Amino acid sequence: MLAEIAQALANGLLSGALIAVPAIGFTTIFAVLRFPDFAVASYATVGAFAGWWVNVRLGMGVVPILIAAFIVAGLVGLVAEHIALRPLRGYGALTVAIGSIALNLVLENLIRFIFGNDLHGYDLPLEQDLNVGPIRVGPQQIQNLGLAAAVLVLVFLFLRYSRFGRAMRAVADNADLSRLKGIDPGRIAGLAVLLGAGLAGVGGVLLGFDTSIDPLTGYRVVLAVFAAAVLGGLGSIPGAVAGALALGVAEELALLVVPATYRSAIGFAAILLMLTFRPRGLLGERSV
Amino acid sequence: MSEAGTVLTVDAIVGGYSTAEQILKGTSLRVERGEIVTIIGPNGAGKSTLLKAVAGLLTLSAGSITLNGRDVSRENALGRARHGMSFVPQERNVFGPLTVAENLSISAFLHPARAKRKADEMYARYPFLAARRRSQARTLSGGQRQILAMAMGLMTEPSLLLLDEPTAGLSPKAADELFEAVIALNADGLPILMVEQHAVEALEISTRGYVLVAGRNSAEGNGPALASDPDIRRLFLGG
Repeated sequence: MLAEIAQALANGLLSGALIAVPAIGFTTIFAVLRFPDFAVASYATVGAFAGWWVNVRLGMGVVPILIAAFIVAGLVGLVAEHIALRPLRGYGALTVAIGSIALNLVLENLIRFIFGNDLHGYDLPLEQDLNVGPIRVGPQQIQNLGLAAAVLVLVFLFLRYSRFGRAMRAVADNADLSRLKGIDPGRIAGLAVLLGAGLAGVGGVLLGFDTSIDPLTGYRVVLAVFAAAVLGGLGSIPGAVAGALALGVAEELALLVVPATYRSAIGFAAILLMLTFRPRGLLGERSV
Repeated sequence: MSEAGTVLTVDAIVGGYSTAEQILKGTSLRVERGEIVTIIGPNGAGKSTLLKAVAGLLTLSAGSITLNGRDVSRENALGRARHGMSFVPQERNVFGPLTVAENLSISAFLHPARAKRKADEMYARYPFLAARRRSQARTLSGGQRQILAMAMGLMTEPSLLLLDEPTAGLSPKAADELFEAVIALNADGLPILMVEQHAVEALEISTRGYVLVAGRNSAEGNGPALASDPDIRRLFLGG
């Protein structure tokens, strides 16, 4: 039983790390624009397909795949937000959130129209699983964990040390004061969407590395992404990471006692419990 | 004083938080170089609203605002900040989750090349900021936070500093220290326009003062003279 628990913990951390990347994207957009952008699901899928195209059609490796996913998903997010969601901002967060669900459906079907419904796999070498004591992990999973960690570190460094990263944190805390300091919240909002959608795209690639991709790649994880952000505290980047890891571990541990078909229920249960007992989330106040 | 010496001219402005409710009903004032100008008046007179209108946080229905000879009436807060105006709000005037150092550097967003030099100046002027530079701003005491807010306002090397009730909620000792900081800044040549609840103390350090009642100018004069005027004291300064 101990070995099973150790395996579940390892699996949970590995899957949580994959969810953490798009969850950071989701929470970044929420922190600055103050609405839950469910279109991150389609941004993740766009990124996954952009990376797949660079990998399979151009024969490029992991780093160019991730860069392409970030850029394409980020730009698609920026343009889509500008055209479809920005005009709705005056009608309140709920309206924009509903608009983002509609936008997600449009983008998802656009991807279906271009790439079809079939599963697509990245052209990556297959390697044998490793045994670390009682725990079995795939080399690809370890690489994914490393890539997710690297992305998180880069995001942290950007937000902490760059001029625009600090401006993003300032706008997330107080847009009116930011304006008085000469920061244009509108431009920063665009930057937040670019970063958030780009990170969702990178998350889509990591999910694709783990399995395969299709037009529903992002849709399948959007509940987990949302749950991770709520668990950690909407708008908090450390919270999104903590929430994703907690959710991943909770899902895997729950699978020891409940059938796998109930896996997605864990996300709903986590949201329900957190909103009931600690609405601020694990890490409390927003701290992008 | 000549027009060349005038930093700010507010001419008969009308405005409020909605077109249905105009709080400012033709208010006027001016700030000359080297002056501290204080606005006093009863609660609801529109003092803070006036300061927000000057800072560009409200849309005017009528009147004009001129900063250093440039009509900025149609500029928003961002535009006025770019032209040298620095407004320190009464509340939520620091970025709580950011450190002291980050608050200072982000306040020089428009002038990144001078951010470090200006931050060093602020650390020299207010040594506790240097000691707490890695602390989140929300962990500072009320008085320290107000000084940080003022230091943030100075990071852009403004030509006019607007202070909205800088001593609100401070202990008497912290309020005195803040007034000393205001005097020191003005002694270095920075014009200051402020709204202040400690009206007597504020008028005593001011070059001039304005009394605002129901959104209109009621009286104007030398700061200490207003502070000692029996009628003003009886009506607006609690005797």
